[in-house]
Amino acid sequence: MNKRTPFIRFLEILPGAVSWSILATLICLAIFRPVTCAVIIITFEFYWIIRSLYLTTLLIMAYQKLARQKNKDWLLSCQKNELGKNWRDIYHLVIFPTYKEGLEILRPSLEALKKCNYPLDRLIVIMAFEERNKEAQKNAYILENEFKNVFFAYISTYHPDGLPGEVRTKGANATWAAKHAKGFLVKNGITFENVIVSCFDADTCVEKEYFGCLSYHFLTTSKPHQASYQPMPVYNNNIWHASSFARLVETSSSFCQLIESIRLEKFVTFSSHSMSFKTLVDIDYWPVDMISDDSVVYWKSYLYYEGDYRVVPLYITVSMDVAYSSNFFKTIVVQYKQKRRWAWGIENFPFLIKGFMKKNQIPLSNKIRRIYHLLESHISWAVWAIIIMLIAPLPILFGGELFKQSSLGYNFPHITNMLLNFTIGASFVWIALSWTILPPRPKDVHWSKSIIMVCEWVIVPVIILILGSTPALDAQTRLMLGRYMEFYATEKSRKKQE
Amino acid sequence: MFTEQRVRAVLYYSSLLIFFLGLPFILSFALGYKFNRSTMKFTQTGLIYIRTQPPGAAIYINDKLINDKTPMAIRELLPGSYRVRVELSNYYPWSGEIEVGARKAAFLEKIILFPLRPDIEQVNKDKFNVFLMEQDRGLIYYINYEDNSIYISDLKGSYFRKISNFIGISPASSKWKFSPNREKIVYFNKHKIGVTYSNGEKYSDKAFVLDYPRANILDIFWHSDNYHLVVVSDRNIEVLEAKPDTEYVELVKLNKKNPQAAYNFHEDTLYFIDSQRLEDGSVYDNLYKIDLTAKALIFPELINIKDHE
Repeated sequence: MNKRTPFIRFLEILPGAVSWSILATLICLAIFRPVTCAVIIITFEFYWIIRSLYLTTLLIMAYQKLARQKNKDWLLSCQKNELGKNWRDIYHLVIFPTYKEGLEILRPSLEALKKCNYPLDRLIVIMAFEERNKEAQKNAYILENEFKNVFFAYISTYHPDGLPGEVRTKGANATWAAKHAKGFLVKNGITFENVIVSCFDADTCVEKEYFGCLSYHFLTTSKPHQASYQPMPVYNNNIWHASSFARLVETSSSFCQLIESIRLEKFVTFSSHSMSFKTLVDIDYWPVDMISDDSVVYWKSYLYYEGDYRVVPLYITVSMDVAYSSNFFKTIVVQYKQKRRWAWGIENFPFLIKGFMKKNQIPLSNKIRRIYHLLESHISWAVWAIIIMLIAPLPILFGGELFKQSSLGYNFPHITNMLLNFTIGASFVWIALSWTILPPRPKDVHWSKSIIMVCEWVIVPVIILILGSTPALDAQTRLMLGRYMEFYATEKSRKKQE
Repeated sequence: MFTEQRVRAVLYYSSLLIFFLGLPFILSFALGYKFNRSTMKFTQTGLIYIRTQPPGAAIYINDKLINDKTPMAIRELLPGSYRVRVELSNYYPWSGEIEVGARKAAFLEKIILFPLRPDIEQVNKDKFNVFLMEQDRGLIYYINYEDNSIYISDLKGSYFRKISNFIGISPASSKWKFSPNREKIVYFNKHKIGVTYSNGEKYSDKAFVLDYPRANILDIFWHSDNYHLVVVSDRNIEVLEAKPDTEYVELVKLNKKNPQAAYNFHEDTLYFIDSQRLEDGSVYDNLYKIDLTAKALIFPELINIKDHE
């Protein structure tokens, strides 16, 4: 990414330093000033409860919107010809960057495209393999045979390993494929303005209305090239077969994304997303040396358009795989690494500051707001669970008899318990909504699993303890110490279809 | 979209309002402050936490009934002294004074309410003279001098049954002690030592009594090997093997006529008091210990332990 000047290193160190300082200060206060620590913790927990209730309300709003638009015939809306532009002119370029995923993962993603109600002759599909994967050629050959005549074009690309200036990231592979697509489009006389590119994780299965929905929004949005289009990720592909732990984590991730879709001023692209191909070319594609390519591509566009760039939420789901492994502990490791990779999005902070310093047209207030949102979200991610689960009991532990015999010493555990009990109410909403977004139960899954899937929410405190903050703190600490991460391709498991 | 963002803005600012309005009240409650509506000021208060055994007692603070039962915390009390009374029907009431400090919690946690009619229940199912209790295994042993028998029951008196016999000694002894493995029982008076077995069916013929004419027995301890006995008398300390026709090995001659002694099973060490006379004729007591672990049990050699004379 950036050349690591002392200033950039300072920016890399800052988030981790702030997070660790918050935790260290609270621990010191718990030991030496338990009353002050208890007051801060009560304040934080009250803030957290209010925030949770607020976000749960947003979740309900987003869910209602998703439910309303779920069965809408988007293609019909396109066909009504009220858009001022012919939707048939729009081509969809779909890129699936893949590394180790096998045919059992890739084929359903292509099958889902095939089932779309959008004219398939307007779809250009690129399966972007990594050259270093020994299975790539063989898999490409099989898939080409199956899908070469289905779409307008079906192309396999092979991203060479070790290109100058690149690190092993999904963005580098996607960029290689996009550059290949650029040549293809020029050759076929298709203008970039009429192409919407969707960069999907290899396991992404779209709904049949996806491209209708995307086209509709592209054609109805003002300045369509100055927007990314973000579908709602759900992890339904293998959810009935995944372990409880992984399922809950991924369901929570889906909900977080739904909540973000309402907070438009903070909304940043995540995972599978779509955007104008023209814009992608203008901003010089995805980053080839950063792990969080999905969010960096948004910031690159934001900087390119001097702040006049946004993310348009698409209330249509794209389904991906729950990341899990063969046993509980391996699943924790898989989930932990995936969350740490997401938390590595803190690398956007130095990138953004550096970008803002070159862009004088963006109002200072916007710059401060965006920087604050980015920093606040990552720092609160890195500390909240540790404060609530581990630091909150410390004033009692270290406070001694004097603290215990004070009103605060007596009231503190009661108040923290009472405040946290409010979250149970919010949990019921999450449980109910998680139930409604579930796909139908497969025939090979026993009905009792439905009950288990409601009861399993009791393990949420364990998940919070393990995955609440530590992956984010880990990522920030690595960035702080200059131990830069490499892209970790999340392990995906899917039960073979009988 | 705009309506939705407007709703969100309302929610956002409402949340902020709730936070900033609610926080002072939560913190003042936590810190022990009470908001006085008439003066519009916060006043420092304290609290009393009361817990009773059994719970559910009514609480009176300065003779005013509190509308709740124990266990509970009575908050927002102005600093000062309070008279507390707790009452529960069929139990003796408890009352006391307690000082409540500003922003302090006063605790009354060790109140036990005793019943007006204690629940007394007969445990034994037959006549007996002495009982031994083995709490670890939940057993009670009953010694009956009339038929020289030992009975057993659980702690509720159930499963009462005879388990063993013993040879009677006269006068009958009230001092009975189990061996560490609970298989043997030693009992004694001033000049006789009896040994019997708790599992009488297995060892019914092995009970025996030893004469001890030389001195007055004060106490007897089992060695951890469950075989040797340490006898403390008003003249000396001796060890013997718990078997008929045993020999006594004298460890220490004592100056003190009524020495206190205690035995540490874990380390097989006897602690005892004995007096010592100094050259100037003054007498004072010392606490001594004797190591009786297996490695030190070469009793003939121990005979040579110097006495204090």
